[in-house]
Amino acid sequence: MANFLVWCVWLVAAFACLASALAVVSFRNPFYSALALIGNLASLAVLFLLLSGEFVAAGQVLVYGGAVMVMFLFVIAYLGDRTEESPWSGGPSWQIVGAVLAGGAILAEVIVVVGLEAGNFLSQPKHIGRSFGSPEAIGRLFLTDHLLAFEVTSIVLLVAAVGGVVLGAHARQLEGDARP
Amino acid sequence: MHGPEIQWYVILSAILFTTGALGVMLRRSPLIILLSVEIMLNAANLLLIAFSRLHGREDGQIFAISVMAVAASEVVVGLGLIVAMGRRHVDLDVDKLRTLRG
Amino acid sequence: MIDAAAWVCLLLPLASAIAITLAGTRVSRRLTGYVSTITTMGAFAAAVVAFIGLLGESPEDRTHTTTAWTWLSAGPYHFGLTLLTDQLSVVMMLIVTGVGSLIIAYSLGYMDREDEERRFFAYMSLFVFSMLLLVQANNLLILLAGWGMVGLSSYLLIGFYQERPVAIAAAKKAFVMNAFGDATMALALFLLIEHTGQLDYAGVFATSPQSGTAANLIALGLLGGAVAKSAQVPLHTWLPDAMEGPTPVSALIHAATMVTAGVYLIVRCHTLFENAYIVEDLAAALGAITLVMAGLIALVQTDIKKVIAYSTMSQIGYMFVGAGLGAYPNAMFHLMTHAFFKALLFLAAGIAIHALTGEQDIRRLAGVGKLMPYTKIVFLIGTLALVGIFPFAGFFSKDSILAASLDRGWYGATIFVIGVVGALLTGLYAFRLYFVVFTGEPSPFAREHYHAHQGKEGPVSMLWTVGVLAVLSCVGGLLQFAPFWDPLSKWLDPVDAPIATATSWEEWFASGLSLSAGLLGIFIAWSIYAAKRRPAPKPVTLFEKKFYWDELYDLVWYRSTESLTRGLYAFVERPLIAGSLTAVTSAFGLGSRELSTAQNGLVRSYALALAGGIAVLAVVFLAAR
Repeated sequence: MANFLVWCVWLVAAFACLASALAVVSFRNPFYSALALIGNLASLAVLFLLLSGEFVAAGQVLVYGGAVMVMFLFVIAYLGDRTEESPWSGGPSWQIVGAVLAGGAILAEVIVVVGLEAGNFLSQPKHIGRSFGSPEAIGRLFLTDHLLAFEVTSIVLLVAAVGGVVLGAHARQLEGDARP
Repeated sequence: MHGPEIQWYVILSAILFTTGALGVMLRRSPLIILLSVEIMLNAANLLLIAFSRLHGREDGQIFAISVMAVAASEVVVGLGLIVAMGRRHVDLDVDKLRTLRG
Repeated sequence: MIDAAAWVCLLLPLASAIAITLAGTRVSRRLTGYVSTITTMGAFAAAVVAFIGLLGESPEDRTHTTTAWTWLSAGPYHFGLTLLTDQLSVVMMLIVTGVGSLIIAYSLGYMDREDEERRFFAYMSLFVFSMLLLVQANNLLILLAGWGMVGLSSYLLIGFYQERPVAIAAAKKAFVMNAFGDATMALALFLLIEHTGQLDYAGVFATSPQSGTAANLIALGLLGGAVAKSAQVPLHTWLPDAMEGPTPVSALIHAATMVTAGVYLIVRCHTLFENAYIVEDLAAALGAITLVMAGLIALVQTDIKKVIAYSTMSQIGYMFVGAGLGAYPNAMFHLMTHAFFKALLFLAAGIAIHALTGEQDIRRLAGVGKLMPYTKIVFLIGTLALVGIFPFAGFFSKDSILAASLDRGWYGATIFVIGVVGALLTGLYAFRLYFVVFTGEPSPFAREHYHAHQGKEGPVSMLWTVGVLAVLSCVGGLLQFAPFWDPLSKWLDPVDAPIATATSWEEWFASGLSLSAGLLGIFIAWSIYAAKRRPAPKPVTLFEKKFYWDELYDLVWYRSTESLTRGLYAFVERPLIAGSLTAVTSAFGLGSRELSTAQNGLVRSYALALAGGIAVLAVVFLAAR
């Protein structure tokens, strides 16, 4: 019974994930694409939950969906209506064919590998305890095994913040100069 | 474990990644390209979480959290660029931005 | 002593050539002429010494070989620089150095005011050396070396007047045709080495194949060389053109010596030819064809030297008939007498040409005999000898060949008939020449341009040498009168026993018939050209065009090759070879142009490149696992 339920949830979440990803890529209005991405993020969070990654799922919704996507929406709103006329055209003649081929190749390779490994290595998830994926476990790892990653990530964030300020200030500076 | 085995997550992640890649390669608006990059990053995150569950260790989740942080920083910079372009009334079309041509 | 004489004979002309070349312009032109003449006379003296030495020995012992060093040593094959002095080679040595020294002495006067006189005498000495090397060689390899060197000397001397393009072209023509003969000879030598492992005469004649394809091919190859060198059909077209050279050159090389090298070759290698009967009969047939054809062409020529050249071709045809039918001593005898009277004819003509400042057309030279009686007499002697009138030299030698041909069945009889017709033609064209040029009233041109040389008809050196040759033409034939005495045949017998000898009545019959034919020819010529009883017939175009041989060769060799090269150039060289070069460069250009479209500055295509690279790398990593 539980298996069946899980499968159902999985299928719904996966379908939503794929549909929203396709929507992001295909909509002409970037606003709608951003909204579709939010849906994508939400369905991914559900999948994370199915994989016992509770902290990560929460982080996904809060950080990604709450902060990053909101920033996106602000910028899109700021830029105004940028609906594209013909989103797929332009570029060299071989672009579409090449892109489909490359993407298809990567997909095919992954599926082949999965096919080769199915039934062995990929089919036996380890038994996990109750505290798997809990904040304490994550926190402990961050502060012990992966301390360096933790610290470097904070530096990256700092650099990004500074960069954002510089980009914004630079533009303001120039606009100030351009006015008579 | 109940539900689908890990290989289904891997396949799903691959399809998501391919979709994101196609979006990067085939759309002209930098905003959409940035969103597609986000899709690709999320696909990678899904894969990481799935393998973390497979191995029974949270290292994959640590990696996924770091990826999220980096994605956020990258979006900041990218959007800053796009805003700067928009402020200067540059066409938001990557095909027109070709000074790298040579 | 004989060996020493052989070496002296061979090396004196070489020393002269080298000395003249090295001395360059430091010595006077006269001096080089004297050096050349005296060394050749010295060589003649050495040849006489060798001859006397041989005379003193019994016939079986008359083969002397002397080796300087091993010239070529390759694996099991060793070829020495060996000279052979035997009956046959000493006869040739005497002829070459004797007639050669007379002609070189003649050139002292003929070439007197030439700028390039030194070069001339150097080349003449080189030629004498080469010819001696050829006849004194003890193995076929040295003979081939001499063969090639006489070809070289011929080329150098025909093209002596370097500023005249006609002379250069004639020299090239002679050389190329002789090169063909050299090639066939070389092939024959290869076959000989394969079958016998050696090339010296004694060994080769003993061990070469007695019959079969190899024997035929060997003889055929040697015959090819002989035909080219002796200007027989079909490799004869170079000889008339070779008259571009100075007259002494025509006398020495193209009458007396070089063109007879082919006959010498056949006589020397008669064993090889007897092993291949077909080829020997072929040689006789070629000789017969040539003697008639050349006689017909000579009837219509208007250049005095060309008439004598065609006459040479015809007479060598007689020698080929003799050698091809197996009458070797007769052929050698005719070779000797022919050297005398043909050189005489050329040199006498040269006196007339020299006196009229280089004019060679017989219509313009007409009647000059009245102004030059001495020349007229010696020319008459030469002509009578040529036609074969008793008791002049040609009578004895030519008729003996015809007589021997009766000894060879119906094949020989056919050739006999051709030979008699040839005798008629000889009388006709020879006396046409004599009557036109040396009898009758002098033409206006002759009268105007004739200038005596210090009161005489020509320089002294020219006059006395011609006189000696005239005497030889008178008495030289008496050396052998076949039914009565034949010392020459006996002398040559150990070396080349003939396989065709004539009986007495055959000799009388042949002599009588050919003498009558000759006299008939003289009578016809007299009635047309001297007594003017009948008008001269119009020249037949076929004869005037020399039977279209030149045109045939032009078509077969030149035109076809030219169109072949043109076709190859258009279809192979330009598109493939030149085109491949431009194709390489344009391929590079094209490739780089196509590749540069990848640098279009579009972020999207760079992203595509990234994705493609990832796809490939994934495969690599998977495969490596």
